Amino acid sequence: MRVILTAKPRKKPLIPVEAETIIPRHFRQGRDLTVWEGNRERSLRDIFDVMVERTAAAAEEVEVILRGDVSRFKRVGEYMDAGKITIEGDIGMHCGNFMTGGTIEIHGNADGWLGREMRGGRILCHGNAGHYAGSGYRGEKFGMKGGTLEILGNAGDFAAEYLAGGEVIIHGNAGDLPGVEMVNGTLTIHGNCSRPCGNMTGGTCTVLGTVRGMLPTFRKNSTLLHGSDKIPLTVFEGDIANRGKGILQVREYSYDD
Amino acid sequence: MLLKDVVCPYCACLCDDLDVTVEGNRVTGVDNACDLGAHKFQAGNRLPGPVRPTEKGWDRVSREEAIGFTVDMLLSADRPLIYGWSTTSVEAQSLGIHIAEEIGGVVDATTSVCHGPSILAIQEVGHPGCTLGQVKNRADVVIYWGCNPIEAHPRHLSRYTMYSDGFFLENAFKERTLIVADIRPTESANVADEFVHLKRGGDYAVLSALRAIVRGKTGSIPSHVAGVSRAQLLRIGEVCKNAKYGAFFFGMGLTQTVGKYKNIRNAIELVDELNRHTKWTLTPMRGHFNVYGFNEVCTWVTGYPYAVDFSRGMAFYNPGETTAVDILARKECDACLVVASDPAAHFPRAAVEHLAEIPVVQIDPVVNATTAFCDLQIPVAVTGIDAEGTAYRMDGVPIRAKKILDLGYPADSEILREVYQQIRDRKKVREVKPV
Repeated sequence: MRVILTAKPRKKPLIPVEAETIIPRHFRQGRDLTVWEGNRERSLRDIFDVMVERTAAAAEEVEVILRGDVSRFKRVGEYMDAGKITIEGDIGMHCGNFMTGGTIEIHGNADGWLGREMRGGRILCHGNAGHYAGSGYRGEKFGMKGGTLEILGNAGDFAAEYLAGGEVIIHGNAGDLPGVEMVNGTLTIHGNCSRPCGNMTGGTCTVLGTVRGMLPTFRKNSTLLHGSDKIPLTVFEGDIANRGKGILQVREYSYDD
Repeated sequence: MLLKDVVCPYCACLCDDLDVTVEGNRVTGVDNACDLGAHKFQAGNRLPGPVRPTEKGWDRVSREEAIGFTVDMLLSADRPLIYGWSTTSVEAQSLGIHIAEEIGGVVDATTSVCHGPSILAIQEVGHPGCTLGQVKNRADVVIYWGCNPIEAHPRHLSRYTMYSDGFFLENAFKERTLIVADIRPTESANVADEFVHLKRGGDYAVLSALRAIVRGKTGSIPSHVAGVSRAQLLRIGEVCKNAKYGAFFFGMGLTQTVGKYKNIRNAIELVDELNRHTKWTLTPMRGHFNVYGFNEVCTWVTGYPYAVDFSRGMAFYNPGETTAVDILARKECDACLVVASDPAAHFPRAAVEHLAEIPVVQIDPVVNATTAFCDLQIPVAVTGIDAEGTAYRMDGVPIRAKKILDLGYPADSEILREVYQQIRDRKKVREVKPV
């Protein structure tokens, strides 16, 4: 089953739309779906041109394609458990919140809180991601617990905050404090970042670029050669300010002294 | 007439020992207040009544018209924002939150651009707080981090810390140790026993280093951390551990610098760590006189302290998404009601640009920078001068402010109650409970 949702022009295109109903399972069930544009509840057909091709026996067989300007559409793929969502452009905040299965592929950029508290499945973002990619909600003790979040561009600040499981891969640069409060899981940053893993207690973070403002509370342990390219990395343990036993491996680093 | 023990409605110290002389509905003298507080009692710049801009200037409108315009604006918006609240009473704040719920809007306070990050950190790791009375009577070590009380809270040192004797400190000036941490020397740094001169943005690293030092893990600390020598960090660690009672105050120099709420979390965890050795507490240096009150009221009513989005009927909270600056800068709201604050003077350019594009109503006693962006301004009484009301001090103590003048202006709460009532009438809500 293939569902193509093409966003219609809106009178107030910058007002956010909350669209957590857009997950593959709901389309297979043939439910009348609604979304919220500001404080008005709208039928999905008021907001999108909807085209459905074929039928599906299970949610796994459903692919939802979002076209047009959905850069202000929030919570797409929230609690998604199977199937695929393809977003041809940019997507708004909270895409893939709490998802447990399936795949979300974003061809443009993603706004903040991409894959917030993800539990499983895969998100592939071809562009950049905003702040808090793969993080937790305010005050939560655990962020992402499972699944894979891969960002081919750059990520904003606080990426993988409270990371508790699964894998976050950032191919570009990350902003400030990636992996802050990290307790488990794997974070890999291919580019540069500043002050990674503050207050971490567990998990592994690898930075293949340069770390600026390396925190003084990581204890240098050893060195290793990473991957088939045998990239030399310095291995730290920390954050000792927090009795941490996390592993931080970095290629180059400088302290803010 | 001399009025004793008047509460100052300027900053969140809420000094309640002012002597105010009133002659013929005019304040002619203010004793005990700092310059900032005294000036507020004697300030002018009040509008005579509601005004709307026209092509030629400003026209007066009646109170009924003004309230009708406000209600129309709020009810026709798809995503209205209600912002401000820090210089009015908790009674008015409560009404504002109820209005936001009725119209499916977003309600936020100046908290989001001052100590909002402190609240985020407190939600993560708790608040080892105390009243200012405890500090005055007990604290022998005081830290001011990222704040300059001599200029921003001028009576804080004389009422609660360096210059105030306490029950357990007979000669406070000699017995208290004052540590100031900042990125530049300030007036407060000049009177400190120890000045920690940080590099800009270095707070998180220095606080992390201090936590490790207090835990006895000094091995990995480099010779300098963000401009602070290892020797000074070790010395401060010892002073803090040896305190009988320590008080950690912090300001926007810590909350609004890079790292934001993680800086505060680190400060709280430093205080936690110090509590393994002795008694330490932490208090945010809140700015406006009742900004704390909004957090209290909003939490009672909605479960969240600020930045609450009622678009879908229930409360949703996510600073960074539902905060006023973010909503305005992303052009996500289509109407704005400003109450008791001045966003045009303090918000980033992108946010103010959007204010200029959407309908804005301001309820505020004075002409300010936001007036220029308004489609309507409704002048009201100043809470604590010509209106009474309750406010919360920076340590969370509620204090009732008196009405000392009657200039004929309605209180914010009166205007907001009428707005609320009309909204409910138009929505045909049958039962109206007093708020």
